[in-house]
Amino acid sequence: MGNADNPIDLIRRMADGDREAFGSFYDRYCSLVSSFALRLLKDRSSAEDLLQEVFMQIWRQAGSYDQERGSPEAWLINITRSRAIDSLRSKRRRDRSFVSTEDPGGAMAQQVGSVSDPEPEVKLTVQGALAGLSEAQRRVLELAYLDGLTQSDIAARLGEPLGTVKTRMRAGLQKLRETIGKQWS
Amino acid sequence: MNHEEWLERAEIYALGALDGEELSQFESHLAGCSLCEGRVRETRETLTVLPRSLAQVAPPRSIKEKLLDRIRAETVVPIRRPPQTKRLWWGVGSGALAAAAVLIVLGWNLLSTRRELQSLQGQVAALQVELTKQEEIVGFLSNPQVRLVSLVGLPPSPNASGRLLWDPVNRRGLLLTIGLPEIPTEKDYELWGIAGSEPVAAGMFKVDRQGRALLRLPGLPEGKVFDKFAVTLEPAGGVPQPTGPMHLLGSL
Repeated sequence: MGNADNPIDLIRRMADGDREAFGSFYDRYCSLVSSFALRLLKDRSSAEDLLQEVFMQIWRQAGSYDQERGSPEAWLINITRSRAIDSLRSKRRRDRSFVSTEDPGGAMAQQVGSVSDPEPEVKLTVQGALAGLSEAQRRVLELAYLDGLTQSDIAARLGEPLGTVKTRMRAGLQKLRETIGKQWS
Repeated sequence: MNHEEWLERAEIYALGALDGEELSQFESHLAGCSLCEGRVRETRETLTVLPRSLAQVAPPRSIKEKLLDRIRAETVVPIRRPPQTKRLWWGVGSGALAAAAVLIVLGWNLLSTRRELQSLQGQVAALQVELTKQEEIVGFLSNPQVRLVSLVGLPPSPNASGRLLWDPVNRRGLLLTIGLPEIPTEKDYELWGIAGSEPVAAGMFKVDRQGRALLRLPGLPEGKVFDKFAVTLEPAGGVPQPTGPMHLLGSL
């Protein structure tokens, strides 16, 4: 008999069609997904739609969850981000199609530059692991992970060489890993 | 390229920032590299610190009620599938083989239907929808004009294979695969009908742990003679033209 509040047990019960387990799983993670969705999409209505779609996907795919491939939290976060980034990139492609095709470089710069600031209540709070990053490292990680920009987009947006962007990303990730490792040891 | 460089790419891939040729090269490499797969997984776990560091915003309470209503109305309850039976169906003659494969799928669907009847008596209408789908598959198999296309695994997944039941008159089909690598949520496999050298998108799918999938092809466009079919790995949601590595290929 598993622990009723353990997220892995909740997922197993959802896989067997247990709606009560779904309710508990939702209660546990809805704020995390909601704030992440709002930060990614920067629009309350779209974020609420995304929240629903993510939890419907969790319900439908609970039977295929494999804990060896990642924690429940990483699974949930990955689904949220993946759906949001698809939506953001598709929107950027649509927006780009309305910009003059005579200046593709300018069009790209315009769409890359269109990433707006998040709503005040969903800004990253500089604490714990994040506090160990330099501002430049945190910026490239946020642009990639939270704004859905690729390494080339980020290099264009910051006016930095691609190699510099990659180095900052890897250094930032390394720093995060080290800090999180220390917190757990 | 030494393997440390692949591992560096794995981190940028997990961050979602890899693009261009580096992305397609890495995805081909990732399909057969457990070290890089582990690094992607580990990096994704690390990155959960970013959303967890956001100020938490509780959603409106009405959303939970909407979701509970939706899952009550779901036509298919998530099912934990029974262990796979022996792969006998892959080694027999083509027609009987395809039928056996579909019978396995229908068997799973039947199991799920029984469970639903026991636990969800109020969803008879939904079950009728599911039954209609199954009848469609059986009807498809009984069509004498249906042809069998064998798809073989290419270098990214040499142990994979597929069978496509293709109706060239009505331009519809049914694809079954086995042995394809599992893929992350941000990816889909995409099937292509190839007319001469022109690929036409024919549907997307994911696979289970054994690399199995069942895909119903939508009606493909008229005026083209499809003589080959291929499966590539693409961004989730599919693309209008293939961009990723080819995993399966077969000819009529």
